[in-house]
Amino acid sequence: MTPTAALPLGAAALVAAVLGTQVAAGGWDLGPTRAADPCRARAVVAVSTGLEGLGEQLVLLGLDGAACRLHTTREALVLRLAEPGARTDAEVDAVRAGLHDAVDRLDAEHRLPPASSLLDEVLVGSGLPDLVQRALHALPDSLINNRLPTAEVLRRAVDDLDVRALLARVTDPAQVQSLVTAAVRKAVIAQLIAGLH
Amino acid sequence: MTQRRMATALLALTAATVLADSAVVTLALPQILRELGGSVAGVSWVLIAFNLVLAVVAVPAAWLLGRRAPGPGTALGIAVFAGASAVCASASGLGVLIGARCAQAAGGALALVGCLELLVALTGERRGVRLWTVSGVVGTAAGPVIGGLLTEAFSWQSIFIVQVPLTAAAIPVALAVGKRTPIHPECAVKHPDSADFACSTAHSAHLRPGVPESRRPAVAPNVALALLSAALTAALFLLVLLLVEGWRTEPATAAVTVSVIPVAAFLAPWVARALQAGPQAENVAGCLLVAGGLCGLALLPATAVVATLAPQALIGLGLGLTVDSLTGQALHDRLPRAHHGASTITARHAGVVLGLAVLTPIITVDLRHAQAPAQEAITAAVLDAPLPGTTKIALAQQLGDRLLAERGRVPDLHPAFVALHPPPAQQPAAAALESGLNEQLDRAALRAFRHAFLAAAGLAALALVPLLVTRRNVR
Repeated sequence: MTPTAALPLGAAALVAAVLGTQVAAGGWDLGPTRAADPCRARAVVAVSTGLEGLGEQLVLLGLDGAACRLHTTREALVLRLAEPGARTDAEVDAVRAGLHDAVDRLDAEHRLPPASSLLDEVLVGSGLPDLVQRALHALPDSLINNRLPTAEVLRRAVDDLDVRALLARVTDPAQVQSLVTAAVRKAVIAQLIAGLH
Repeated sequence: MTQRRMATALLALTAATVLADSAVVTLALPQILRELGGSVAGVSWVLIAFNLVLAVVAVPAAWLLGRRAPGPGTALGIAVFAGASAVCASASGLGVLIGARCAQAAGGALALVGCLELLVALTGERRGVRLWTVSGVVGTAAGPVIGGLLTEAFSWQSIFIVQVPLTAAAIPVALAVGKRTPIHPECAVKHPDSADFACSTAHSAHLRPGVPESRRPAVAPNVALALLSAALTAALFLLVLLLVEGWRTEPATAAVTVSVIPVAAFLAPWVARALQAGPQAENVAGCLLVAGGLCGLALLPATAVVATLAPQALIGLGLGLTVDSLTGQALHDRLPRAHHGASTITARHAGVVLGLAVLTPIITVDLRHAQAPAQEAITAAVLDAPLPGTTKIALAQQLGDRLLAERGRVPDLHPAFVALHPPPAQQPAAAALESGLNEQLDRAALRAFRHAFLAAAGLAALALVPLLVTRRNVR
């Protein structure tokens, strides 16, 4: 091979070696992580425990369900909901339906905690007379769990939840927590009353 | 060191300093933007104005220099350059800085073509042209590195302050060398009241005997130079932008990183000399290396500074093989030398302006388009982080504030995490999340630069066309 041809060929080989190595190491695909398909079930784990942990799981799964219904990604939906402005009926309905889906999924996977384990948190600040609260605490766990199936309580809570108000205050953690807890308490009490009858 | 060697070194240093100015402020642009205000587009004119004026003024400067002995003209050019550098250093507004940069380029054009003539007068045709060319390559490649280090160590003003004594020292040299050089009798007849220095030195037995000189500019090497300069601008400007603005690397680190290009450019002639492949093969190989290196920057497999080293080495080798060789071809057996030297300056700096004009809109649009995927990736990372929901919402609020505060630039997310004050138990998860979010931002920035790097690679590949067409015609 003449030196005249050797230099360009050597350069081409060097370029091919560098580019080949880079593409083999994932250079073609490197970019920000793409959003997952919200219509496919993903593993959701909450670090919080009790009512807050349950709420986190429901919200994360609920967002997937809502995004799937709205034909968008979970991330795009969250960014849209974080912007100020009124929510459309479609968005409100999709979020509520997504939360229902979340309850159904956790129920089907037997991941819902028994109501007795959440009772203490629900009763704090519930407004129920002290006597009633003591009476409820005195009830055996089996009776509470039998009368208050968690899935039913949560479905009722989702129905009672003011989703539009929740979405309007989505950037305020305290307000969100307050609205969710209020809805769960209301559902528990309603279910208790229904069960006692 | 003899007086002749000292004079040669000072003139070569002046040529390198003027050509380094083409990109010397690249790493300083963010600091200039912060201190002098204005828009990103406005600040980019600190770079564009210099190259544009240099491209436009180079040929008229050569004509002007050809009418008189080059010594005083060169000295005047250097003085204007040095004076304008001092004005740049003391500029309190963007308008003054851009105006002074234009004056720098006008003086620099005169200084550059004058240095070519004086270097030839001092060292002979072949060595003088080579010294001038190599000074240009070194200056172009090392400019951003030196500018970055000075900005980090002192301030952006220090870049211009340093230039004043560096170039001013060559003023007496230019006057002395210009006075000593003989004037060819033929030129004295043609221009009895002036000294056509280009003519005089070209005829002083430096040209190869029996080879007819040409007055027509060498089109193919100049077109290839313009296209390669456009591509090389991308290599330096875009890479520096990616490192400093995209990956938030300190200017000094960025400067050391991009020093791979001048180091490789310095080694390239040794490789060429060992292979003895000839200028045409060097040019073709150089274009392939620059295009390949730019493709490599577009396809980095990791958002780490170390990943840029191999593509940079390819670009540096290509730079060292081509610019030197193409400039030599453009000047080979052509007279007046100053005019042809000026044509190569025009080609190179018109190429720089072309590169900026082509690539700036691409990178601007792509950076805008990169925001949505980056935001979604960050949102996903926050939602999936092993942190309590209330912490995530508070963090999302802080991150949103950071995005707004940075006004479209790649944000520094650290203040959002500092403001979060997570309890000790959550701190490892928060730190991991911060690292993950920065990785997502780095990836988004890298992806945003992909099209611009590929377009620049296309410009480098396009430089092969005039070279190969000329080769066919020669055959």
